Amino acid sequence: MAVEQPTQPTLGDQIYDKLFHNYVWRSIFRTGYPNTPRNQMLVVATNVFLHLHPTRIHRTHVKITHTYCLGGLTFFMFLGLTVTGILLMFYYVPSVDRAYLDIQNIQTNVQFGQLMRNMHRWMAHAMVILVFLHMLRVFYTGAYKPPREFNWVVGVVLLVLTFLLSFTGYLLPWDQLAFWAITVGTNIAGSAPVLGPKTRFWLLGGFEVGPDALIRFYTLHVIGLPLLAAIFMAVHFWRIRRDGGLARPL
Amino acid sequence: MATVVVARPAARPTPRARDEEVLVWPDLVFVEFISAMLFTVLLFVLSYVMNAPLLDEANANVTNDPAKAPWYLLNLQELLLHMNAALAGIVVPTVWLIVLMVFPYFDRSTDGQGRWFADVNSVKNTVVSFNVGMWGTLALIIWNSGKAALWAKDWFGFSGGSTLAFLERSAALKDPSVVPWPGWADSIPYLWFNLKILDEGPGAGVTTFQKIDLPTLLVDIGIPTGFMVGFSCLLIFFFWRINWVHTRRDALITLMSGFVGVFLMLTVIGTAFRGPGQDLIWPWDLRTLEGIPGQE
Repeated sequence: MAVEQPTQPTLGDQIYDKLFHNYVWRSIFRTGYPNTPRNQMLVVATNVFLHLHPTRIHRTHVKITHTYCLGGLTFFMFLGLTVTGILLMFYYVPSVDRAYLDIQNIQTNVQFGQLMRNMHRWMAHAMVILVFLHMLRVFYTGAYKPPREFNWVVGVVLLVLTFLLSFTGYLLPWDQLAFWAITVGTNIAGSAPVLGPKTRFWLLGGFEVGPDALIRFYTLHVIGLPLLAAIFMAVHFWRIRRDGGLARPL
Repeated sequence: MATVVVARPAARPTPRARDEEVLVWPDLVFVEFISAMLFTVLLFVLSYVMNAPLLDEANANVTNDPAKAPWYLLNLQELLLHMNAALAGIVVPTVWLIVLMVFPYFDRSTDGQGRWFADVNSVKNTVVSFNVGMWGTLALIIWNSGKAALWAKDWFGFSGGSTLAFLERSAALKDPSVVPWPGWADSIPYLWFNLKILDEGPGAGVTTFQKIDLPTLLVDIGIPTGFMVGFSCLLIFFFWRINWVHTRRDALITLMSGFVGVFLMLTVIGTAFRGPGQDLIWPWDLRTLEGIPGQE
């Protein structure tokens, strides 16, 4: 009776083994590629980045046309803006004397500087558009309905925070476009009855757009608002899980 | 045995049928990964072909004309041209954001969730409301810009004179020669003491709260508020009469779709059709295109 004999490992198998089964690799990734349903659920449940997700999801929710990935892409824009924003922060000083020169410097002297600035700008526009479309998706699929009422409210707060993040970033290049856009924008805030002028003063740190406004907008843009947005995002994502995943017909 | 009653939320996620589910890894994670990669590539290409705008260094002494806010605020800037500044810049957006937040507390039914346009009339409701909002806004903007009267004059030789000046812009209604306002109308006392709020800074005046300027109040606040609230209610009422609106959800769809139409039209007009002095012009006549992303 013929008994199947184990074959000798091929060269490819040996290289694969050396690359992915060595001590260092194993210390980082405890398991190999999850190729059984059990391991695939485990990897989602135990991986720090993936555990925002449930291990399973209703099959209608992986259809692109259900969500168009709009919420996820908005978050992805936020991550991309953080990365490009940090790179820009290396070269940018928020002072009236330097801000404009720094932007010119980024565009002309910094390796990939123009690309980083473009990416940051277009991602910011994309985030505003995507978050708005995400809101429309949630509305037209009736996903704000119970039990997701509060998450809709959190979402509206995040919409406002996105606008504010974009608005505070608009001043930083310190060019004519930035200056007058923020002048117009803060004048709108200043038109509020009774509290308007004070609000405008707090926003600008003065009566007109100047050095104090620049440092305020910068601080809000790079730390204050992103921190706030991150907190609300954490709640937003957590509530999706708590409310039973994405909405679907009952 | 004592029964323990546990408080539960009114609506809870229902248990799922396991055979209706797929695994997040790989089915969802891969979709997310691919869409993220697609957007990364798209944005790289966009950033490669199109530079972020950078004009001359900021100069408080050289006014940009037109001076425009970022494009997502141009809808508010457009509104500012047609009504009281506080109403357009603060009250309308604040009220709308609150209305948005209240949506799920107003429409509490769980029917039709998780599907696109699940309700019977929602598609035609959305399309019609969106268009009414969009084109209605355009009509109002053209009317208030005086263009309609100008065209009527150019094409038909029609000239209303000063008595029909309100056909050119609503602000004309404040003029005593157009509407015979009595002499006391622009200073009606409503407080028996003079409450003043002193605003500091250049150009800031004194805000007093003793008297009402009735013509200004009616024209700058009354008429626009009437249009915004009235048209919304009228549209919902009309859809209710023709049986397109049955539920609160339907009413919200009308409201939201109308809003999207208005928002879009205001943003487009504010971005591409407002030139120096905030006059209505064609986009190709815009000398400086500061308000449009990417144009230098």
